[in-house]
Amino acid sequence: MNAIFVIAKNTFREVIRDRILYSLVVFALLLVLLSLALGQLSFDENIRLSANFGFTGIHISAMALAVFIGSTLVAKEIEKQTILTLLARPISRAQFIMGKALGLMAVVNVVVLSLGLILSVFLYFLNFNFQFEFLIALVGILFEAAILLSVALFFGSFARPIMTVVFTVAVFLLGHWVESLGYFIKRSESEFFKVTATAVQYVIPDLERMNWRSAPVYAVSVPLAEVAKAAGWTLGWIMFLVAATVLIFRRRDFV
Amino acid sequence: MTSSENVLEVRGLRKSYRSPMTRKKVEALKGVSFNIQAGTITGFLGANGAGKTTSIKCLLELAFADAGETVWFGKTGLSNEAKSKIGFLPERPYFYEYLTGSEFLRFYGQISGRIAPRDLETRVKQLLERVGLSHAGERPLRGYSKGMLQRIGIAQALIHRPEFVILDEPMTGLDPDGRHEVREIIQEVAAQGTAVFFSSHLLPDAESLCERLVILKKGELIFNGRTDALLSDLAQTWQLIWTAPGESGVKQLELSSLAEVQQRIDGLRKAGCEIRNVSMKRASLEEVFVRMAFDPKNEPSSPEAGR
Ligand SMILES: Nc1ncnc2c1ncn2[C@@H]1O[C@H](COP(=O)(O)OP(=O)(O)OP(=O)(O)O)[C@@H](O)[C@H]1O
Ligand SMILES: [Mg+2]
Repeated sequence: MNAIFVIAKNTFREVIRDRILYSLVVFALLLVLLSLALGQLSFDENIRLSANFGFTGIHISAMALAVFIGSTLVAKEIEKQTILTLLARPISRAQFIMGKALGLMAVVNVVVLSLGLILSVFLYFLNFNFQFEFLIALVGILFEAAILLSVALFFGSFARPIMTVVFTVAVFLLGHWVESLGYFIKRSESEFFKVTATAVQYVIPDLERMNWRSAPVYAVSVPLAEVAKAAGWTLGWIMFLVAATVLIFRRRDFV
Repeated sequence: MTSSENVLEVRGLRKSYRSPMTRKKVEALKGVSFNIQAGTITGFLGANGAGKTTSIKCLLELAFADAGETVWFGKTGLSNEAKSKIGFLPERPYFYEYLTGSEFLRFYGQISGRIAPRDLETRVKQLLERVGLSHAGERPLRGYSKGMLQRIGIAQALIHRPEFVILDEPMTGLDPDGRHEVREIIQEVAAQGTAVFFSSHLLPDAESLCERLVILKKGELIFNGRTDALLSDLAQTWQLIWTAPGESGVKQLELSSLAEVQQRIDGLRKAGCEIRNVSMKRASLEEVFVRMAFDPKNEPSSPEAGR
């Protein structure tokens, strides 16, 4: 257990000191600033517009962070051969993978919560009507990032970084689309489409499930039971993906 | 239970790679067996591509051998407990560029799980000093030169006071001063009872440092034993100096066996020559190594290899 935290701590440091992180954060800040500018026009609708914009900015930067850094996290250790000295230490490959994932997830948490804080300060000055769903929306973003991060780690355990990014972005796009797939399945005449689409529904995590980003904007309430269910579901996906990653990674040669 | 004298026993290690281009199988290790004794310095020799790095990676399970068994500290297999007693420096030291020297050492100290947090800070300082990097401890590794990386790599391998250190070419890339320091560190560590196993192409270093040697050739073991045994069995030459009758200058001859020396002396005496000097000369490891490399007896699949 201790080993996982030591690796997580070092991964946290690795990502925090990576310039890519700062480009992402600057991008997100620009979006949030833009949302502020929109809000300045100061019709009632525009406060909503700016809140919406702010959440989108946070969402996209969190996903970019999980996908782009997650895809190279392990590949970099292998390419630079730092993994050799690390795995010669008394840690298992499973602990290594979990430590890397946990470290990056910690960075995602810090980024999302800080951006959320900045957004809330801006919105406060626009007289935004805060409710608890503001936090829930951020938590939803964190759930989604955790799943995508695990997806990136999974593909990264056997594919090259570029392909890993491609696959993970594909899962991201499909993941936001599977919900609507159900509608097409009901309507479709084609048996083939029904079968494949149902299969896709099973292998692709439904990422719309924790999209609570419009709730704080339109003052809709989110039942806590729904959040709890999504949390369990997210945890299930993460455990499944990490287990699969470890299984593939366990017998890999580093030559 | 095997002899507790050995920190490591390797039996029948095999590994083949598939060439990425041709998909042809390359047999990098063809059943290598050897042992490393506690508290000794053992050199790991062999030409480029002989299989040294592959052996080390298979031992540490960074790559998985196709066959073979390892016994660490008397127990079969590489457990976490065994790993906590091992220090390792890989062939090409690339480390976390974003860490400073002392952060890097602290990280490896923590992950080894063998050092109390209070002890760690002094240990880090001590080692930085030992490898001559006290001035660079707070600088990120990104800015380190090749030799500095090699040094911090050695410090990393020693941070947790291991009982057994495996170094893959620790002197490569170092200036003469640096090599001297590494030699000193190896001796110092060994004097404290740590077994050291290091691969090298620098035979004079290996000769002066290593009590024992493991020598590979094309994926097979050709020697595992005491350095002096190798040097005395294989490496004696005799020098014969004489003067011919009626000549003033001396003549000399190098002979490789005592029988030959006797025979020559008889012949020379009969011809009226005067024997001036017979002396035994020990060949250097370098000479022995070259001789072994070209000796057809040592071609792969010689039956006595591996014992
Ligand atoms: N990743 C790999 N793919 C294919 N063949 C490999 C790979 N790594 C090593 N080999 C082959 O295995 C053999 C042993 O290589 P190894 O690196 O173990 O030699 P070495 O003794 O460490 O050499 P050097 O002194 O040059 O470091 C060589 O024939 C090499 O070509
Ligand atoms: Mg090598």
